[in-house]
Amino acid sequence: MIEITEHTRNVLLEVAKKKKIYVEGNFLKILKAPPGDVEFSNYLKVCKEKDSNARKKRLDVTKQVQAQNKELEQAAEQNETLMFDLKIALDQAEKAKEEAEKSKAEAEKLRDDAVEDLETLQKKSQFELVGRIVKIALIVILGVGVITTLLFAYTLISGQENPILESTWSNLFGILLTNSFSIVGTIMGVKYATGDKES
Amino acid sequence: MIDSILLVDDEDLFHLVFEDACSLLDMTLSLEALNSSDEAEKLFKQWFIEGPVEDRPQCVFVDLNIIGSSFDGIELIRKINYEYGNGVVIGIISSSDDSQEIEKAKEVGAQFWIIKSDEIEPRLEEFLKDYNNYVNKTQSFKVYK
Repeated sequence: MIEITEHTRNVLLEVAKKKKIYVEGNFLKILKAPPGDVEFSNYLKVCKEKDSNARKKRLDVTKQVQAQNKELEQAAEQNETLMFDLKIALDQAEKAKEEAEKSKAEAEKLRDDAVEDLETLQKKSQFELVGRIVKIALIVILGVGVITTLLFAYTLISGQENPILESTWSNLFGILLTNSFSIVGTIMGVKYATGDKES
Repeated sequence: MIDSILLVDDEDLFHLVFEDACSLLDMTLSLEALNSSDEAEKLFKQWFIEGPVEDRPQCVFVDLNIIGSSFDGIELIRKINYEYGNGVVIGIISSSDDSQEIEKAKEVGAQFWIIKSDEIEPRLEEFLKDYNNYVNKTQSFKVYK
């Protein structure tokens, strides 16, 4: 404890009276009023009261700021958690989107395969039909040719020559030959046209 | 009243709270606050080399997790107690009440553990009552909740 001199005491009291400036802080704790000096003792009491009030006020404010900081930190943590959750949800959505796209691509591939199979099937049946037509046409052509030739040969061998049969055979043979080429040409044309469409 | 106190805590705002609380409780004449355990270690190292000095603190309050420091509060207490043997009253002041950490602090020679909260004054008041027993080493480890 410090006992102050008469001069210092008077200066401190004067400054307090005239300028309202008081001693504050820890220095107050080591100041001691001389025994019996009621005026200075009261001055020290006022100083301590003022200092205590100022500190209480500051303590309240700092505590409030501390509490606000805590709340802000908690809010920031919550935000961080939300952002994290959001990121996870976004990742999941992207993953789902990728999977959907993958499934779509697979479905499209399957559809294309099915269409291709269908086309192949159609072509196959068309080709078979054409083959059958050609076969039947050839049979008819050959059959008619063979029959008329046999008839013509029989008339020649048996000596019953018939000019009508002769001209019929030659006409028929000519017509059949022309028609057979026409059929073959048509088939080739159809085949060529189908091939163009594919490319 | 404690002549001088050293507070080691990374939170500047808590320095103000602690200073005002100490002042209102007439707890100390002098309070020094540091932000890092490295700074505190440097001081204790210096005192250890130079010998006893008048301005060294009588009581040290150390935060548990001191952000921006090379080591935590428990390690600082260990260093002060075992490497720089100053015999000060020393303990933790932290918002944590983790029993494992409390045990660790006890093991390195911490004498008390004060839990920080909005109302720190009642705990400091209780601590002040026990202070002389800490100096005399008659007070066992205590957690101020």
